[in-house]
Amino acid sequence: MSQSLDAYLVVSGILFAIGSFGFLARRNAISMLMSIELMLNAVNLTIVAFGAFIPALNGTASVIALMVMAVAAAEATVGLAIVMAIYRNRRTPLVDEYDAMRQ
Amino acid sequence: MFQPLIPGVSPVLAAAAAGGAAPDSLINLVPLILAIPLAGFVFTAFFGRRIGRPAFVLPLLGVSVTWLLSMVVVYHALTGGFGEHGAGITLWRWIAAGAFNVDVGFFVDQLTACLLIVVTTIGLLVHLYSVGYMAHDPGRWRFFAYLNLFMFSMLLLVLADNFLTVFAAWELVGLSSYLLIGFWYGRRSAALAAKKAFIVNRVGDVGFALGIMLIWVSTGTLNMREAFDRIAGLDHGTILAIALLVFCGAVGKSAQFPLHVWLPDAMEGPTPVSALIHAATMVNAGVYLVARTNPIFSHVPEAMVVVAAIGIFTAILAASIAFTQTDIKRVLAYSTLSQLGYMFAALGVGAYVAAIFHLMAHGFFKGLLFLGSGSVIHAVHDEQDMNRMGALWRKIPITHWTMLVGAIAIAGIPPFAGFFSKDEILGEAFKLNFGWVWAIGVVVAGMTAFYMWRLMGKTFYGESHVDPAVEPKIHESTWTMTLPLVLLAIPSMLLGLALGLPFGDSMITRWLHPVFAGAEETLGRTAEPFALFGIDGALILASVAVASIGLVAGIWLFGFFRRNGRRQTVEMITASSGATRFLYRASLNKWWFDDLNHLLFIVIGGRVANALWWFDRTVVDGTVNAVGRITVDAGGGLRRIQTGHVQNYALGIAIGLIIMAGSYLVIASR
Repeated sequence: MSQSLDAYLVVSGILFAIGSFGFLARRNAISMLMSIELMLNAVNLTIVAFGAFIPALNGTASVIALMVMAVAAAEATVGLAIVMAIYRNRRTPLVDEYDAMRQ
Repeated sequence: MFQPLIPGVSPVLAAAAAGGAAPDSLINLVPLILAIPLAGFVFTAFFGRRIGRPAFVLPLLGVSVTWLLSMVVVYHALTGGFGEHGAGITLWRWIAAGAFNVDVGFFVDQLTACLLIVVTTIGLLVHLYSVGYMAHDPGRWRFFAYLNLFMFSMLLLVLADNFLTVFAAWELVGLSSYLLIGFWYGRRSAALAAKKAFIVNRVGDVGFALGIMLIWVSTGTLNMREAFDRIAGLDHGTILAIALLVFCGAVGKSAQFPLHVWLPDAMEGPTPVSALIHAATMVNAGVYLVARTNPIFSHVPEAMVVVAAIGIFTAILAASIAFTQTDIKRVLAYSTLSQLGYMFAALGVGAYVAAIFHLMAHGFFKGLLFLGSGSVIHAVHDEQDMNRMGALWRKIPITHWTMLVGAIAIAGIPPFAGFFSKDEILGEAFKLNFGWVWAIGVVVAGMTAFYMWRLMGKTFYGESHVDPAVEPKIHESTWTMTLPLVLLAIPSMLLGLALGLPFGDSMITRWLHPVFAGAEETLGRTAEPFALFGIDGALILASVAVASIGLVAGIWLFGFFRRNGRRQTVEMITASSGATRFLYRASLNKWWFDDLNHLLFIVIGGRVANALWWFDRTVVDGTVNAVGRITVDAGGGLRRIQTGHVQNYALGIAIGLIIMAGSYLVIASR
């Protein structure tokens, strides 16, 4: 384990950047969901790193990470269900082709 | 019956109520006098079309009852039953707005009584005449409805006790006049004439309304008697402004220069309308107004000079135009203008009684002349051009003899009515140092005699120029038309003798003295005894002489009974020199006033209006439209942010986050 908090923060920052790039740049809806998961994991890493390095927290930051994970799971489920419903209607997973409400 | 609902009406009434019941009960007739024509109008307007031919019965009956009631009130007023200064009745509070309170109330004094005589009598006779005159017109129910509306409006005007009611009635008579002039609305000329009458009236009404507002602002009340009491305390400039503004309204309504242009065109209406409204009643409203507000005018002699000047100028202007007109009704219309000018001249010099006397006499003989001309027009099958009449005196005798009476009366030949009233005006003008008014007035008297005998000569005497197809069908009118003529001929002959004698202390002077006493005192006039063999006699002689000269000239040029007119002589005179040719053309073109108005208001005013319309369209509307367009275009531009792609929105969020975080870091590190 590294002894500096900065390393963990850098890693999670890079992960978050990769995740948000993926979210913004991918056309496939499933890929966007995966990128969201990546961003959530980056955030989890940050929380846990802070929990480990700050003595006053007594390691209780892990609870937050647990809740984040639960929310992420629920949200991934719902998101996947929506994507599958849209896929059945639109026959394409590419988000820039969902333009029926656009002028 | 109505009882006075508001306490504190007039001290006279209260005293009378304490002393005896007679004035109390008779003043209650006044609302009834007003209600009957109004009810007649409403009923005929709603049910007249269905009633059809007998539609005239209710209005005629109503006006007869009104006449009877008015005569009762008049008799009571003139014999002093309402007290020397008249009595009033207040019905209810019309406007209650803090300090601005106006009651609906009526007021009767001797001046009101004189006006009532004229209005109701001529109204009744015109209603009767219209039964025959409008017999073949399908719209006669409308005609009688409008006539009743007019009677109501005119009576309201004469009986009102505060300026706001007078103004309301003023507008109502204008409306009735519009409706009646444009009665045959299918004729374009009639519709235009009605519009012209109403609009020109409105111009005067602006002044009147401003005057009323000024009265309110300066005296704090619109009740006439209270306002007159408080007038003396105002400063001179204010009173002068009030007087001139009120006179504006009179100028419009009574068709004085420069607002005289509507009256000749108003002859487009049926002849009973011309007789009633434009000779005997509505045009007298202006004279009545100035006479009623004499306390205001008597404080500002400058305004009275203006009144006299405009009056006498109108008199001579109109008389000069009447010389050349060929339409019989136009001649009478210009004659009315001229006589109204006389009345205003009398008011202007301070001869109030003479003005009212002339108002009454003129109402009768001008009404007679108009109704007579209507009978003539009816006889020659709607021909109004005098050059196509002639030799009618044998064929329509009653019309002829009554019109002869009217012509003698208006020419001022004694002992008929016109002589007394006109002579009193001219005499007062001379004695009160208004020599110029007297001089012009005498000339106008001569001119009046001349053009009236021109009218008689061309219409009735000499050889016949009637259209040969019409000639065998000429017949006298029915009794409903000739009876009013005869009934009007009687006062034309006798009114002067009845009211004007004895000279210097005549009956009408005694009647109206309390009304005008205050004004005469303010003006510093003292009563002088009548000098038959002195100045007064000389003045009478002068006016009779001039009238006779006009009469003789008229007869010599235009024929009398069997003698023909000298048409060649007339043409020779008018063509004799450049000056006379110009005068003839000027007279025929009404001194080009209609053309001047057309130029000023239609042509130039039209250009100004177009320019303003351009401004309104381009600048004002353009600004508002530009604001709208900018909003729409901006919206259209901003709409393109909404792409519908979630990723674009997410990108926006990300960018915003970066900017916020970055700026926080930058600021926090400072």
